[in-house]
Amino acid sequence: MKRQKVLLLWSLVYVIYGFIFCYLPLAGWLMAFENYKPKDGFFHSQFIGLGKFKQLFVDDGFLRVIRNTLAMGVINLVVTFVAAIVFAILLNELKSQGGKKVVQTISYLPHFLSWIIVTGILHDALSGTGIVNDLLLRFHLLKEPLNFFAHPKYFWGIVAFANVWKETGWNAIIYLAAIVAIDTNLYEAAAIDGAGRWARIRYITLPGIKPTIIILLLMNAGNVLNAGFEVQYLLGNGLVQSVSQTIDIYVLKWGISQGDYSLGTAAGVFKSVVSIVIILIANGMAKRAGEERLF
Amino acid sequence: MKRKQFTALLLVGAVIMSTLSGCSMGASSKGKNAAKNDGGIKEFTYFVAVPGNEINDDNEIQQKIAEITGAKVKETWLTGQTAKEAVGTLIAGGEYPDFICGSEGSSQLYEAGALVALDDYIDKYPNIKNFFTKTEWESLRQADGHIYWIPQFNNSYGKEMETTHNDEAFWIQTRVLKWAGYPKVTTMDQYFDLIERYQEANPTMPNGTKNIPYTILCDDWRYFCLENAPLFLDGYANDGSCIVDPETKKVIDYNTTPTAKVYFNKLNQEFKKGIVDPESFTQKYDEYIAKLSTGRVLGMIDQWWDFYNTVNDALKQQGLEDLGCNYVPLPITIKEGVQSRWHTSGDTVNVGSGISITKDCKDVEGALKFINDLLSQEVINLRNWGIKDVDYMVDKDGLFYRTPEIRMQVTNTGYKASHMCTYSYFPIYSGMSQDNLNANKPEQQPNEFLSSLPKNVQECLEAYNSKNYIDMVGRNEIPGPWYPIYTFVGTMTTATPGGTTWIKMREIKQEYLPKVVMAPDFEEGWKEYMKVYETCNPKAFLDEVQPEVDRRIELSEKAAQ
Repeated sequence: MKRQKVLLLWSLVYVIYGFIFCYLPLAGWLMAFENYKPKDGFFHSQFIGLGKFKQLFVDDGFLRVIRNTLAMGVINLVVTFVAAIVFAILLNELKSQGGKKVVQTISYLPHFLSWIIVTGILHDALSGTGIVNDLLLRFHLLKEPLNFFAHPKYFWGIVAFANVWKETGWNAIIYLAAIVAIDTNLYEAAAIDGAGRWARIRYITLPGIKPTIIILLLMNAGNVLNAGFEVQYLLGNGLVQSVSQTIDIYVLKWGISQGDYSLGTAAGVFKSVVSIVIILIANGMAKRAGEERLF
Repeated sequence: MKRKQFTALLLVGAVIMSTLSGCSMGASSKGKNAAKNDGGIKEFTYFVAVPGNEINDDNEIQQKIAEITGAKVKETWLTGQTAKEAVGTLIAGGEYPDFICGSEGSSQLYEAGALVALDDYIDKYPNIKNFFTKTEWESLRQADGHIYWIPQFNNSYGKEMETTHNDEAFWIQTRVLKWAGYPKVTTMDQYFDLIERYQEANPTMPNGTKNIPYTILCDDWRYFCLENAPLFLDGYANDGSCIVDPETKKVIDYNTTPTAKVYFNKLNQEFKKGIVDPESFTQKYDEYIAKLSTGRVLGMIDQWWDFYNTVNDALKQQGLEDLGCNYVPLPITIKEGVQSRWHTSGDTVNVGSGISITKDCKDVEGALKFINDLLSQEVINLRNWGIKDVDYMVDKDGLFYRTPEIRMQVTNTGYKASHMCTYSYFPIYSGMSQDNLNANKPEQQPNEFLSSLPKNVQECLEAYNSKNYIDMVGRNEIPGPWYPIYTFVGTMTTATPGGTTWIKMREIKQEYLPKVVMAPDFEEGWKEYMKVYETCNPKAFLDEVQPEVDRRIELSEKAAQ
């Protein structure tokens, strides 16, 4: 105890930080249960119980944004996850150290671009005169330029692609680190026993990084409902709004723009609660399977 | 060892303290109300919930105005958000700048109790008091009987000198009209026919890039460029959100009129012919402005204020004026014989928004004094014309004018940021100035207006026997005391069923109108749109607007007695 005094003091700093910035704002959830008016403030607004939640669930618009959020969340999770693991393994198999470094650096740089830039590039590339249409026309895959952003059916795909492009390199770093930590003796032994590349990936690399995969999957599962705000907000337009709007955009639209802070808070509360439930379920499943887990 | 740990702890503490103080410094700079700097000059902050251009901190005219008025204002503008989002965020944060112009979000600020009631102060400031008539001040009172904002625009000091059609219209490049020999174009069919013929004969610009015959801006709230034309096509004045029939004084929904169907059918046909820009419905505002700035777009519907500033300056700087790429408005209606009312003259006060002072402003009197001082003729000239002998000349009769070099200079973006300071969202007079000789604004000075016009536009106006842009579409009186009713609709909120409907209507139209225009089978698409449109119960909206029309008529009748 005595020896840990300084450490405890240190951690106290972070407890205070967490309390101020993570727990204190939760008091704002109170807004979801009242008819909040900025003029009356927190304590004098009319208390209405679950009224705002009822309003949410009879609104077709809200049910639609839940669908969109879940769909895009799951698609993004699966696609970016698989892409990162595959990419890390491929990169690890590269023999040339120099080439590996170059590829790795180039591939993780997009992570540092802000979404406004990424969506700007996408908007240009996919526009009627952009590079994608240009290529498709030249290869005679299309007769007329295709306006990708005018068709709801392409939207989720575009968002998933944007996520993969931006985050694959970055996400792969952690898997690469895990792969490096695998005992090289295992590979040598396997090679002597006649295991080829595929077999080594399958029986050594993948099992070796399994704990990392599971932990990251668990953590990301809680983020499914954070399917994004900027991408959808910046790429969306009137034509695709029925598939592009997420819960976050809904909160912005009704909570901030229309000044119905209570409704916005209620939607936010709903999102948080569902996220916690998803994490609990995923954690429970991991526990039952005897795998690594968060808690 | 012990000592090292202690130092480390101290360091952590220092870091935290500095971040915390960083926070509070950020907060205080926001509410840095009327802090005086060394020269004794008060500094105010102003957030304007419309997009605008920030000027440099060491702007020359701003400094000059500060010397006269004893105050300067740091203006910030809307970027990447809608007005309501920006205002909603400010309200949620609970901290405000000294001045604010809420634009579409004004009523939210009022409801949040963020604004200072101005009625008790106004009498003390003669320039502010004289800015409106008594009746006009009365019309600015909110439900609680107080005045919270001062509308800035549409206010002529002397006689009205309007030269530009600062409103919505079907615009067309002068080169198209010139090519056709300046024909009379008054109907939608003629308009598109002309564009089609021109496009067939001249598919590209001289430099080889393809012309875009007709584009439609549809980005967020700016989708009015697509949706509200049926109102004008039927010959009604711009009441905005609905038609108010001047005969019956009844509110009519323009989304479902026969004209609306004809108009969208026409767009549908033109879309199939490739006349309507296929990127219309997915382009963002800046992409649209960039397109217009290249001079490739032959025509579009828009509000003059929504494009002229950036686009005209860009055309000038690139020498595209000589190719006839500037836009003039046309008096388009649905068929011959319908009176065009795209332009209404006369000062209409937009009671829905204006400049306000927030409750965070520590020096309300100082802030009002600044507004008052900005309305003196000396400062108005500085704001609109600039510095004498630098930004304008005075001839022997005392008339202000600009040389071609000055005109080129004042359209230069860099020069505007470092030198010009218009304080454009503070109350400003237009029309004839106090010297009864010069107009308050350069573009309204008759000789200056004409000689500043590109040659092609001059020629075009002459061909149509017009002295200015307004003559192109024709002048109309204000239809009635309710006009424009959009100033009321802008204040509706989700607190009422009508307000909620208004938002739903917009949402449906933003999705389905583009679909209708792009539909392979128009009839089918229109039927589907109408079916969805009816589900939001537009009647609830109209039923809330009608009483306001009646109330405004009644109010004006009372005032007349």
